[in-house]
Amino acid sequence: MSAVVEIQNVTKKIKGKTIIDSLNFNVKKGEVFGFLGPNGAGKTTTIRMMVGLISITSGDIKISGYSIKKDFEKAISQVGGIVENPEMYKFLTGYQNLLHYARMSKGIKQTQIQEAVRLVGLSERIHDKVKTYSLGMRQRLGLAQALLHDPKVLILDEPTNGLDPAGIREMRDHLRMLAKERDMAVIVSSHLLSEMEMMCDRIGIIQRGKLIDVQLVNDFVNGPEKFIEIKVSPREAAIKLLKHHFPEIKVQVREKGIIIPLSKEQVPLLVREMVIANIDIFNVREQSRTLEDRFLEVTEKKGEALYAYADTK
Amino acid sequence: MLMLIQNEWMKIFRRPGTLVMVGLLLLMVMITGSVIKYQQNQTTVQKQINWKADLQQQVDQSKQQLEKVSKVRVPSIKRSIALNQYQIKHNLNPNQKYSMWDFVSDGSGLIQLAGLFTIIIAAGIVAQEFNWGTIKLLLIRPISRGRLLLSKYITTILFALTMLVILFIFSLITGYLLFGTPETVVPYLKYVNGKVAEQSMISHLVVFYGMRSVTMLMLSTMAFMISAVFRNSSLAIGISIFLMFTGSELTMLLASKFHWAKYILFANTDLSQYFDGVPMVEGMTFHFSLAMLVSYFIMFQVLAFAVFKKRDVAA
Ligand SMILES: Nc1ncnc2c1ncn2[C@@H]1O[C@H](COP(=O)(O)OP(=O)(O)OP(=O)(O)O)[C@@H](O)[C@H]1O
Ligand SMILES: [Mg+2]
Repeated sequence: MSAVVEIQNVTKKIKGKTIIDSLNFNVKKGEVFGFLGPNGAGKTTTIRMMVGLISITSGDIKISGYSIKKDFEKAISQVGGIVENPEMYKFLTGYQNLLHYARMSKGIKQTQIQEAVRLVGLSERIHDKVKTYSLGMRQRLGLAQALLHDPKVLILDEPTNGLDPAGIREMRDHLRMLAKERDMAVIVSSHLLSEMEMMCDRIGIIQRGKLIDVQLVNDFVNGPEKFIEIKVSPREAAIKLLKHHFPEIKVQVREKGIIIPLSKEQVPLLVREMVIANIDIFNVREQSRTLEDRFLEVTEKKGEALYAYADTK
Repeated sequence: MLMLIQNEWMKIFRRPGTLVMVGLLLLMVMITGSVIKYQQNQTTVQKQINWKADLQQQVDQSKQQLEKVSKVRVPSIKRSIALNQYQIKHNLNPNQKYSMWDFVSDGSGLIQLAGLFTIIIAAGIVAQEFNWGTIKLLLIRPISRGRLLLSKYITTILFALTMLVILFIFSLITGYLLFGTPETVVPYLKYVNGKVAEQSMISHLVVFYGMRSVTMLMLSTMAFMISAVFRNSSLAIGISIFLMFTGSELTMLLASKFHWAKYILFANTDLSQYFDGVPMVEGMTFHFSLAMLVSYFIMFQVLAFAVFKKRDVAA
């Protein structure tokens, strides 16, 4: 798969302060890329640079090969987006808002406007004034606006902000569908970590303006090694056996068993040894950690990240 | 570009405030008409029989004055002499019944109101997008910032023209209904280069409106510039309206003391000073003022475009 969005060594300085520090990553066709980081990490700033709202101090961003700096019009015509809240003209109807943005891109037909409206499920209220819309409806209108010109890249800053659980689910389904069926590259930033886990194929973690990790969601959540929870009896015998085979291992003791970091290949070996040693095994389970656990682990800024999580509620 | 202007136009006229502006303008024309009509009913104009003799007397008086007064007042006295003599010679009685033409001419005072509304629109057209947060969605379209700003400026000018046309036409209609057409077709007498010439009333009034709108155009452009540079519509409205009401007085004050006052914008906005009046500072010419106006205009535009194109759009 080819990269549609290329972030090349991007740095942003505001008044001598480095806010984004040599960011490098690519986003491919047909994938949902999550952009994750605690408050003030620089997610919005990066997205603003991607859509040309703010200048890039050094480095470049390319969309379908066109530089957003030098070939702004060509690059941006491939992009649909929402930056922070989807602010619309409140005194216009939803439809007039879409018409307004449709007139700004070349060759958008009326049927395309209607299709975008249908996709986000706003058909019933589209001719009402936007000031009568709920936040969720504004988010939907925002998405419709971003999809009008059938872009190759969709960039959304916190798209689930203000949506109820059903709305979040719907948004997630939309984004996955757009990526899979229309082969769009979708970039989302969000504080809702559990959300990202379900929505994204890959995530990049940014902290204090630096990209510290880009991984597939599955790999990321589980890390290089898995934690295995084993319910055994007697426990002490099991621990002794473990120490014998893996002298370095860190064992977490639980009420009815133990938790140990172990790679998948090592599990059968351990089970066999335990059976031979006459240790009863009740349950062997791979402990799946949530993205949140891992996120906190990686960023090591628990207080701030937890606050970020609470903030979006 | 047409589409962009269409967009701006929609955003202006879909707001209730704009319709209130148009309504107020119409209302003010009607009120002005009613007041004048009322005053007329109080005082009946008597038609002088021997108006030629009166005019001749005025001419004689003016000629005597001509020898005494200071040099600056000479052109305006000469002008009135020439006009009076022309009227005597061509049998044009100046004491006509108040007609629709007079009303349209008097109604030109309301250009200030139209100007006020245009300033409000010009001040908001960029700044409001920042206030609403819609600027973010506006700038992520395949349209350069320069074109976007240009479409906004053109829309502002179109709005100004629309207000003027509404004012002019509605004044004509109101004037016709309240005061009717003049009994005899009277041409407008203009005085150019020491000669008197006749001009049709309507073309005179159009030029007259245009000339009186120069201040409005310049102040709106300034409001537009402030709006684009500072993203603050209150600031733009405040400064522009303050200058609209005090600008010419302040300049007049300065002009009496300092010669450089002629470089101030407001010394040059009243172009009619070259047709029937005295220039604010001695030595100023029509072409000088025109050059000054163009310079100011370019300066406002360069500032607006340079800042708007460079600006980082955060918040
Ligand atoms: N115009 C500016 N001037 C100075 N500092 C700024 C400016 N804009 C952003 N910053 C700083 O840059 C950093 C990144 O901000 P940004 O809005 O990109 O964070 P974010 O990751 O989107 O945060 P959040 O999760 O709260 O939305 C913050 O520390 C912020 O204070
Ligand atoms: Mg943000």
